[in-house]
Amino acid sequence: MTRYSLAIDIGGTFTDAVLLASDGQSYVDKTLTTHDNLLEGFFRGVDLVLGKAGIAPGDVDDVIVHATTVVTNALIERKGPPVALLLTEGFRDILYIREEHRYDMYDPQIEFAEPLIPMERTFTVKERTFADASVGTAVDRAEILDIIAKCREMGIVSVAVCFLNSYRNGANEEEVRRIFAEEAPDIYVSLSSVIAPQMREYLRASTVAINAYTVPITRPYLSALITELKTRGFSQQPLIMLSNGGVIGAERASTIPVRMIESGPAAGALVACYFSRIFGIPDLISFDMGGTTAKACMVQGHEPLVTGTFEVDRRYRFKPGSGMPITVPSIDMIEIGAGGGSIASVDDLGLLKIGPESAGSMPGPACYGRGGVNPCVTDADVVLGILDPKRFLGGDMQLDTAAAEKALDELGAKLNLPRSQAAWGVFEVVCEQMAAATRTHATERGIDYRGLPLLAFGGAGPVHACMVAELTESTKVIYPPLASVLSAFGTLVTPAQIDLVRSLVSPLSDLDWAAVDAVLESMTREGGDALREAGIPDEEARFAHAVEMRYSGQQSEVRINLPADVIAARETKRIEALFETEYHHQYGLKLSGMGIEIVNWLVTASGSQADRPAARQAGAGAGRKAESRTVYINGKPQQVAVHQRSMITADDVIAGPVIIEERETTIFVLENWVATLHASGSIVAERTKGAL
Amino acid sequence: MDGVELQILWSNLIGIVSEQARALQRIAFSPIVREAGDLANGLFDENARMVAQAVTGTPGHINSLAAAARNLLAHTDMDQLKPGDVLITNDPWMSAGHFFDITIISPIFRNGRIIAYAGSTIHHSDIGGYGIGSGARDIHEEGLWIPVMKLYEEGRPNETLFSIIKRNVRTPDALMGDLGAQVSSGMIAAERLNALCDRYGLDDISTLSEEIIARSEKATRDAIAKLPAGTWHGASTFDVPGGEVIELKTAVTVDPDKGEITIDFEGSSGPSAMGINVVPAYTHAYATFAIRSTLNPDLPNNAGSLAPIKIKLPDDCVVNARYPSPVNARHVVGMYVPFPILKALAQILPDAVIAEGSGAVWTIQIQGKDAAGKPFTSSMFNYSGGMGARAHKPGLSAICYPTGVSAVPVEVLEASYPIAFTCKELERGTGGTGRQPGGDGQRIGYRMRTNSRWLLNTIPSRLAYGPEGIFGGGDGAKGTFQINGEDVADTRKREMNPDDEVFMITPGGGGYGEA
Repeated sequence: MTRYSLAIDIGGTFTDAVLLASDGQSYVDKTLTTHDNLLEGFFRGVDLVLGKAGIAPGDVDDVIVHATTVVTNALIERKGPPVALLLTEGFRDILYIREEHRYDMYDPQIEFAEPLIPMERTFTVKERTFADASVGTAVDRAEILDIIAKCREMGIVSVAVCFLNSYRNGANEEEVRRIFAEEAPDIYVSLSSVIAPQMREYLRASTVAINAYTVPITRPYLSALITELKTRGFSQQPLIMLSNGGVIGAERASTIPVRMIESGPAAGALVACYFSRIFGIPDLISFDMGGTTAKACMVQGHEPLVTGTFEVDRRYRFKPGSGMPITVPSIDMIEIGAGGGSIASVDDLGLLKIGPESAGSMPGPACYGRGGVNPCVTDADVVLGILDPKRFLGGDMQLDTAAAEKALDELGAKLNLPRSQAAWGVFEVVCEQMAAATRTHATERGIDYRGLPLLAFGGAGPVHACMVAELTESTKVIYPPLASVLSAFGTLVTPAQIDLVRSLVSPLSDLDWAAVDAVLESMTREGGDALREAGIPDEEARFAHAVEMRYSGQQSEVRINLPADVIAARETKRIEALFETEYHHQYGLKLSGMGIEIVNWLVTASGSQADRPAARQAGAGAGRKAESRTVYINGKPQQVAVHQRSMITADDVIAGPVIIEERETTIFVLENWVATLHASGSIVAERTKGAL
Repeated sequence: MDGVELQILWSNLIGIVSEQARALQRIAFSPIVREAGDLANGLFDENARMVAQAVTGTPGHINSLAAAARNLLAHTDMDQLKPGDVLITNDPWMSAGHFFDITIISPIFRNGRIIAYAGSTIHHSDIGGYGIGSGARDIHEEGLWIPVMKLYEEGRPNETLFSIIKRNVRTPDALMGDLGAQVSSGMIAAERLNALCDRYGLDDISTLSEEIIARSEKATRDAIAKLPAGTWHGASTFDVPGGEVIELKTAVTVDPDKGEITIDFEGSSGPSAMGINVVPAYTHAYATFAIRSTLNPDLPNNAGSLAPIKIKLPDDCVVNARYPSPVNARHVVGMYVPFPILKALAQILPDAVIAEGSGAVWTIQIQGKDAAGKPFTSSMFNYSGGMGARAHKPGLSAICYPTGVSAVPVEVLEASYPIAFTCKELERGTGGTGRQPGGDGQRIGYRMRTNSRWLLNTIPSRLAYGPEGIFGGGDGAKGTFQINGEDVADTRKREMNPDDEVFMITPGGGGYGEA
């Protein structure tokens, strides 16, 4: 009996739909994202793939998973309903003061994103909790009633609460929630002690403000989705992709939108984990390059790296520090301002720079013929002959070669290089920028990136991945199937999972195990509830534990995964040994004699890995026979074979340099590499000769 | 090398120093390093010229580090250095101007030959002696003086020096940890630089360094060549802890033909009896920063881009400290160095300059015993006032220019020490009025949760003179410093009663243009 699962990924430009049958058949399509009403595009995508498969909504009997950019859009557009923020008296301006950090020392013109919740809608409350968890001043009910009355006048629909030291004791925040629930149950309350119970008031306030700001958008959105699915005859509640690389039930997700922010890219990283299992390669680098940015993620032991803090909506020249920080568990992604639309320029030193300015899709690279005149990465790819201007997006879009050549001529003039060499320079420099970012990211985390295989996807990823691989000393690049809708596919191979964190600062030598048990129990309960809602039976629920630790006096923690027996046996000695090993691994240091402390306890609650292989894409269509065209490699023209991906068989061994085309992207394999077809439907390129 | 090849190598070098800086910041024990980013990292070529630096921290550190490598190596027989050697100093005149800042330089070897040096300076949590503040009467009261020495010799620790350091500071564990971080970040840099050379088949980085430095110097000279010739004057007046009024005067001479700018501090205030005297390297650091951040902030900061900017200092001058003047709180004057220069540049680059801001961050250190009687010594922590307005944008509130350090979060401090804050908010309206208003300062209050007397060290400034507006913009408000509601001018190390409460308002920034 064939079972069907369905995935919809709403991105900035396209809404991708994947319908997967348990026999391995897949049906995919893309439609434009409908920004005014995202669900319109959602169901257009659904209809397209159901139509292709010829099945009815009721036939989708496995999961329905959804990744969406709705939260990120809400933060960038800032058109949400009025939201209020409650802070401790005396600390009204936490969102305005931030970290007092001028993030670019040399640039006096820097800017910050405006606080999400302005001062006019910020209230302070006479209350105080100290760092030792004691409550100095409890919340006064009358004061909260007064605030509720003012919220009513302002038409507030959602409230964020961030009291000082609530990461140690959330009682005062809970009291506020209780009063709101009694007096104003229609106003949704987000507590910082629940959403992000971690030290550092600005990080926590920023995170809970984002949550409160987006709840009024995600709740109606997801409840409309649930209703509409039911109306159309689908039988199950949708699962929502979170930025930590797990899925949970839509209802729960609607109350923690701050965890949905990177859901699309997270799904991409999950695909990399999926293929790392298929290929039996535990460690690799996922590499996703699109129109404006490239994203990379390190996969270690078939799992993505997870981080505690990231930033959204960088307002000033994409600079770190100019956006809003968020502290929730999220897949640790490097985001590089380098994509197909990134603009190449020559700086005051005469050096070739790519980005961070991007031509986006409007006007786009010069070759789009929409009025863009700046030389972009895609223009260079066209000039080099890597991209066929007549077959871009399967021929749906004609590229203007002359415009690309003109843009590159102008760039070449500034560099004193002929057009083809300038174009090769753009190709090399953009790849080097991505390789450099990857190297820094990896080494910061104590990972030796050298030789790690790359998994390449996104519109521009397969074009550049082989070169990036050369620069990261990698010898293998995997180009998975379904590359154009890979994130949507990724949601289908994602386990139900929620990551929870609680701060409980204590010296390792003086650990209060009763307090630890209480914290772990509460997180286990919360995680178990979330899994049950996502349809995971209790017997399949798995709980993994970790701690974040540091030498006493440090401010930066190292994450240590704890085997279950270590906690059960209360083995602090083993925790210490695990910490010292990991610390040495990351920093090459062992500081004997220093005290060690645990800062945070983490619980990951997850269901089992979904097993939904996709081997064949229905209607991928027959291509043409291999042909060839001129490609300028390192400034020299070369005849390079051009294959159609759909025509490659398991028996083919294709030596580079070679171009392999498919509808949405082009694979460019360099000299000294060979490409073959893997049983998973992936193309695999491997280096045949020694290092560069 | 063409612009493509050079860019590829250059982006690799930047990657190395950034990696080094992030590693340092993550390992660091001193909250001022981790939370505030008070550190500097640089890579130097075989001739000790700074080639690349990480974008972190403060100009005071970064540009001083450029001088430190040169000074340190001038005091070392470079030919005798061996793999595994690590050099150290905190000599104020050779590095960053006070004992707290320890500079570590590690030679990077390739095939038995030195091809570069990795350097870092960080503000350590304690260095013995007076502690934070400007109250010491000569430099020897200010703490432990470490001359240029080897901290490691061929990989072996200099145990004598280590035990001297440990015995002479209040927080030996944190200091050892942070020194370890510096040494380890130098090792990372050496490994990465060799990997880079392997990857691109380089024997050394001399060609690369020469190209980058030469191009940076040329770009700077070209930018200066576009300015009109002449000498422009600017002056800035401000008060420092204890009420002393300092005036810094500059004559900025532009020579477009040579592509050079000379800044002369003739006429500035004389040496101070307080620990606010600034060593020449630190003055140089902030003076060159003023030019660089106004003229061409996107250019890399290295020996080349700094070369065309010359500094002239009169003999008896607060910004030309001489032994044995105390220098501990030199930032309180040093961070004002850019303002008279900006006022001079305003006459030729009106759109690029910013109005005077609150200047130096206000620095605080607390010492005492907690309620259980356990002693504590805090690391220093800083708060910003308002930044001056820009030509087309308002000044930022609670943001300092010229430094870039962050504040340590309230919750981090409360978790680390028995301090309880009573408020930390913007003081709206303290920024000067103007076509573009200045940034606002902040109101900050705190007390101790203790039963014993405690020590307070604070370094406020501009309690009498607010920052001036520019082109008709209003002045920023001056600051306020109170203990138990009373204004206090002398903020040197003070003994406090358990219940005493401190309240301060940092100054606002000046406005730009008439409102």
